[in-house]
Amino acid sequence: MRSMKAVTSRPAAMYVPLSLLLFLIAFVLLCAQDVPASPARVRAADTPDDWGTCLRLTWSQAGPADQIETYEVWRYDGAAPALTIPTVAADSVDMLLKSLGWAVVDTVKITDTTFTDTGLDAGSDYTYIVAASFGATKLPSEPTVPVSPSKQYLRGATVNVLVAVAVFMALVVLLVEWARRGAKLFIRRIAGLEAVEEAVGRATEMGRPILYVPGLDPMDEVATVAAIDILGQVAKKAGEYETRLVCPNRDPIVMAVAQQVVRESYASVGKPHLYQDENVFYVTYSQFGYAAAVAAYMVRERPATNFFIGKFYAESLVLAETGNATGAIQIAGTDSDAQLPFFISACDYTLIGEELYAGAVYLSRRPLLLGALKAQDYAKIIILVAMVLGIIIPMLSPEFFETYRSLFG
Amino acid sequence: MAFYDRMMQIDRRIIYLCMTLAVAIPLIVPIGMPVQVSDEARGFYDHIEDLEAGDIVLFSFDYEGDVMAELNPMSIAALRHLFRQGVRVVSVTMYAGGTGIAQDILEETAAEYGKEYGIDYVFLGYNPDWSGTILRLGESFKATYPADQFGKSTREIPLMQDVETYDDIALLVSIAGSALSEYWAIWAGGRYGVTVVSGNTAIQAILIYPYYNAGQIPGFLGGLKGAAEYERLVDIPGLGIKGMDAQSVAHLLMLSFIVIGNVGYFLSRRHERKLKEE
Amino acid sequence: MKRQGPVVVAFIIGMLMLIQFFTPNPFFLRLYNLFLDWKQVVLGCTLILGTWSLIRYHTRRIGRRQQNWQYSYVTLIGLAFMVLAALIWKTEGGPYRWMFQNIQVPMQATMFSLLAFYVASASYRAFRARTFAATLLLIAGALVMLGRVPVGALIGGNIGGHEVTVSTIADWILNVPNLAAKRGIMIGVGLGMTATAIKIILGIETTYLGKSD
Repeated sequence: MRSMKAVTSRPAAMYVPLSLLLFLIAFVLLCAQDVPASPARVRAADTPDDWGTCLRLTWSQAGPADQIETYEVWRYDGAAPALTIPTVAADSVDMLLKSLGWAVVDTVKITDTTFTDTGLDAGSDYTYIVAASFGATKLPSEPTVPVSPSKQYLRGATVNVLVAVAVFMALVVLLVEWARRGAKLFIRRIAGLEAVEEAVGRATEMGRPILYVPGLDPMDEVATVAAIDILGQVAKKAGEYETRLVCPNRDPIVMAVAQQVVRESYASVGKPHLYQDENVFYVTYSQFGYAAAVAAYMVRERPATNFFIGKFYAESLVLAETGNATGAIQIAGTDSDAQLPFFISACDYTLIGEELYAGAVYLSRRPLLLGALKAQDYAKIIILVAMVLGIIIPMLSPEFFETYRSLFG
Repeated sequence: MAFYDRMMQIDRRIIYLCMTLAVAIPLIVPIGMPVQVSDEARGFYDHIEDLEAGDIVLFSFDYEGDVMAELNPMSIAALRHLFRQGVRVVSVTMYAGGTGIAQDILEETAAEYGKEYGIDYVFLGYNPDWSGTILRLGESFKATYPADQFGKSTREIPLMQDVETYDDIALLVSIAGSALSEYWAIWAGGRYGVTVVSGNTAIQAILIYPYYNAGQIPGFLGGLKGAAEYERLVDIPGLGIKGMDAQSVAHLLMLSFIVIGNVGYFLSRRHERKLKEE
Repeated sequence: MKRQGPVVVAFIIGMLMLIQFFTPNPFFLRLYNLFLDWKQVVLGCTLILGTWSLIRYHTRRIGRRQQNWQYSYVTLIGLAFMVLAALIWKTEGGPYRWMFQNIQVPMQATMFSLLAFYVASASYRAFRARTFAATLLLIAGALVMLGRVPVGALIGGNIGGHEVTVSTIADWILNVPNLAAKRGIMIGVGLGMTATAIKIILGIETTYLGKSD
């Protein structure tokens, strides 16, 4: 009979090495999870919307990031040959890569997993390696496939803008030509502009001047261009009635343009002698210094009619309230939405937004300008149709229908 | 004159006197109104809070002395927050009158946190051309500002070695009393992709909502209330919170006058109707 | 030529700036940067133009003894003194900095503070419920005025699980109807700006030349 001890100890003896082996595997696996690995999924791609001088690298963080210090980006000019790096010692990796023709491009923070390489030649091949660096260890990735940057002649992100500008320009050209050939183009009645004649007449009857404030912005602002346009028309009417027109300016270039416009307007109605430099003058560039000067003028001279046309800021209420207190008839026009409430509450007539741009067209009825104004209207219709379609089309999708059904049973 | 006519025609001087008292008294005797934080202010705060030490922020003082009562509190609070985070600040201004204000605020707040000029912050000064400057910065900071406010070449300033274009900027902060915040969002944000947050006067803040809703300006401070909310978030009380009492009383006063005017209007209309019926 | 020259220049530069927006070609980028630099130089020169215009205007007023001509002396002396102070004592300290901090800034702040009074008198006068639209304006204005101060958060309560205070109503007014109106105006203004820019490039609009018609 065999010893019981011998029978029972044989299975136990097998379990011990098995347990040790399992323990060793677990230990290795656990340790492996704490060790950083080479950056994975390193991809190089052409940077969009450039002149073929940039390539963009992306990669995935490999392993725990708290041990990695930096990423190094290496580049090979051309299609790199197959590469085997048998070591992870940083010095050895550096030496090996440099000897094979690779060069460091840049060192990147560990929080970044993208890099843009610049100063490249369009059409030339480039290969990249990204190496995770920590301590004396460097873990390079597999080389990317060779990529060459390509030129884009048109910025892809601006295609929709290009289409919109082209359509709009075509509309402007077509409608201007149509207007030039005598087509009757309708503009709705704008009360503020209809009142210009009445306002100028009032100043003439009372023997008091007209004050015209062309806004506070310089000449490159569209609202100022519109304001000077309207100034020309108002100056013509003032010239016809021989009423003094005063135009204080905040910007010296606007002043120069305003002087020229008023001079020409008086000349066009046969009254060039009415123009005087001191009626169209520069005040100060300081916003509230300008407001104070104009308000003081209104209180002293008590103009019968005030025009506030152009771009305004916080001083709008100071001007409008002061004018209101002097009893003047006031016509305002601005595309500054924040100032519209102040003008509406203190002025007799207010041109809102686009009505300002329509001002000169409305008063002069020049075919060229009328055509451009109508082009704006048609462009608005196109935008409205696009907006409505943009609302309706998603509503026809199965996902939207499902959501609607789940909400309302 | 009937009393309801008097209600509709209160002398301006009485209104102005009441307004003076309504603003002055709460500043002298504070009430202590609680300040609730809005989503817009929280967006502004979160974008600065998410910055890391060493990041570079472009800070634009886009205002002058006229609106400094409303905008200085938010400029000071924002700079304190930035310096507390260890963020480096490149500062500019688009207004000639803003240079003195920017200098004062930068020097005071930098001294509070032991920041050194040229290393932790720099003031590049004033440039008169808004659109040109904003667009040009996208190509080269040093070409746009060859020298700082004090005449030192930007090539010699240590902080400027790390800044070339908007790509090197983690965040753009515009404190503006005009439409400049919108221009930063359109030109710098739209064309160059830089994130813009803004602080604005209460009037201008209303115009920022379309940009906020579209995500172009992910956070903004609106007026003195915005400054108070931000001071609450950064836990550094200042003039914003102090001003809330005065602003509240002033608004209540205006509403009172509006109600008086409307009551007078309705009473006068009722009187006219009675006269017509008779 | 005097009229056509600037129009041709405007067309060429306008088209170049338009093209550079759509293409990453480095030639157009260099042109773009060059034009931006020129623009800054031109703007710097306008300061000289403005200063000259100011001096000429006030010296004429003094010479012709026009009404309140004495104040023109104040303007000219102030201008001269600030320039000299900046040149002699620089702008970081001295009289220039003192005058800026103690005269200019308080004066600017004072002018802006007038708005508080003007807003009060304007709203008292304008917010009358004369028509349906005026009543809507009155109610919206009152709600936003209350909602933008801490008092607004204290008026209201929890309704159906939602916090409904004057502040939340004011936020809704600003985020929904105000935003819708603002977007509509923005689209219109944007189209107007684009149309005006196209007109200037194509030479249809020549106001900048001082030609009104």
